Amino acid sequence: MTHKILVVDDEPDLEPLMLQRMRRAIRQGVYEFVFARNGIEALQKLDEQDDIDMVLSDINMPEMDGLTLLEQIPSVNPDIRAVIISAYGDMQNIRTAMNRGAFDFVTKPLDFDDLRITVDRTLQHVEEWREALKSRDRLVTLQNELDVASKMQQSILPTAFPSGSNYRVFGTMEPARNVGGDFYDVIRLQDDQIGLAIADVSGKGVPAALFMMSSRTLLKGAAISFQEPGAVLAEVNNLIQEDDTAGMFVTMLYATFSPSTGVFAYASGGHDPPLVVHADGSSTLLPLTGGIAVGVVPGIEYRQESYTLAPGDTVILYTDGVTEATNIDDELLGIEGVREHFGPGHLSSDAETTGMEVMRVVREFTGDAPQHDDVTCLTLRQG
Amino acid sequence: MEINAERDGATVVARPTGRLDGSNAGEFQEALEGAIEDGDRALVLDFEQISYISSAGLRVILLTARSLQGNGGAMALCSLDAPIREVFAISGFDTIIPIHGTRDEALAAVSG
Repeated sequence: MTHKILVVDDEPDLEPLMLQRMRRAIRQGVYEFVFARNGIEALQKLDEQDDIDMVLSDINMPEMDGLTLLEQIPSVNPDIRAVIISAYGDMQNIRTAMNRGAFDFVTKPLDFDDLRITVDRTLQHVEEWREALKSRDRLVTLQNELDVASKMQQSILPTAFPSGSNYRVFGTMEPARNVGGDFYDVIRLQDDQIGLAIADVSGKGVPAALFMMSSRTLLKGAAISFQEPGAVLAEVNNLIQEDDTAGMFVTMLYATFSPSTGVFAYASGGHDPPLVVHADGSSTLLPLTGGIAVGVVPGIEYRQESYTLAPGDTVILYTDGVTEATNIDDELLGIEGVREHFGPGHLSSDAETTGMEVMRVVREFTGDAPQHDDVTCLTLRQG
Repeated sequence: MEINAERDGATVVARPTGRLDGSNAGEFQEALEGAIEDGDRALVLDFEQISYISSAGLRVILLTARSLQGNGGAMALCSLDAPIREVFAISGFDTIIPIHGTRDEALAAVSG
């Protein structure tokens, strides 16, 4: 099925560039592009063509800018989602755009690989949303709502991971049958640095899924505006406080990794500390930074710590679905249960194998006991 | 979700039992709201019989604490098992909700 994308930018060079860079997807019938030069033209196109699936819009444009366009889109088509193109680190406009309902944003100069991922994710969300509307029109049972929430959760997880000559990243999640709110994200930062986030949203159902989505987007915005993990969490915490979250909060660990120096800096907002598994199978549990879960207390600062990874080190970020995996005798796995697993017989060879090993340890420990929470693991391997 | 609530002056002492997670957090919240009456100044949550708490459970505790504090009341927890105590430490919730070893200590703290 072809998805129709409306691109709004006053820069005439974008149209040929987009058509050129996306030519394969266009030829394969995945995308179809429509172009407009400002907000007014965009609204006209949306009005004429009701099969447009999403909007990709610049902010600064003559006649009607992107932020004004965002406000107008729902009156033309409430089920459409918009992605904003902003200057790198322009948190002011990103915040305004998010408040006006933008689904996501990409930054200039455009990285077309990144853009494709964002566009695909947005289109997937649009489809889930349409599906959700259909189920609402039918009889909405609780299970139905949980299914929708679970699909929304899946749609925000990255499926491709950055890698370099001396590092690899891998993430995976085993969702609980009907509750849970884990997510993770990997963000490309300036100077080839990588931002890594893992989080667990409280609550369940569609409200928690929507809260998860806004947490993820706010985190991404803060991550590219502030380099330091502690400052990033403080910003997300303040942005979340501005909304009414009905007591929802998110435990979140955010880290940056510099492939050139091996420095892994992290801050925790009420989240479990990172575990580093060394080349020989021994491991180090990094110290907690003492931050409160994000969205609980406004205006607080978050401390950060850093650790220099040696070649062969693998950082494991995880959620409490791992540590609190419960077996049939009601015993908890704990992080010690994971640490004991790695040793001379089970070395951590790369990011993906290590992540899958953790998932296997949890699965085998849980056995026939029910899985109560999402089990999520994000790994980073140096060297 | 089983929850025993009793009253010690203007303080409610609630003893939930079992696991506190997304599957029964709503029930737990309703039970707590039902146990607290207008004019109640304080709540002690005795967690001796709680074997597990997820973030959905923490959310109910946060909502309850906010609602009590909004009315000038107080809340405290007591008798947490080591793994539960650790959940409160990692999430940082122990910095916003006082945790005591025993029920008597918690009662003395909220009424003091």
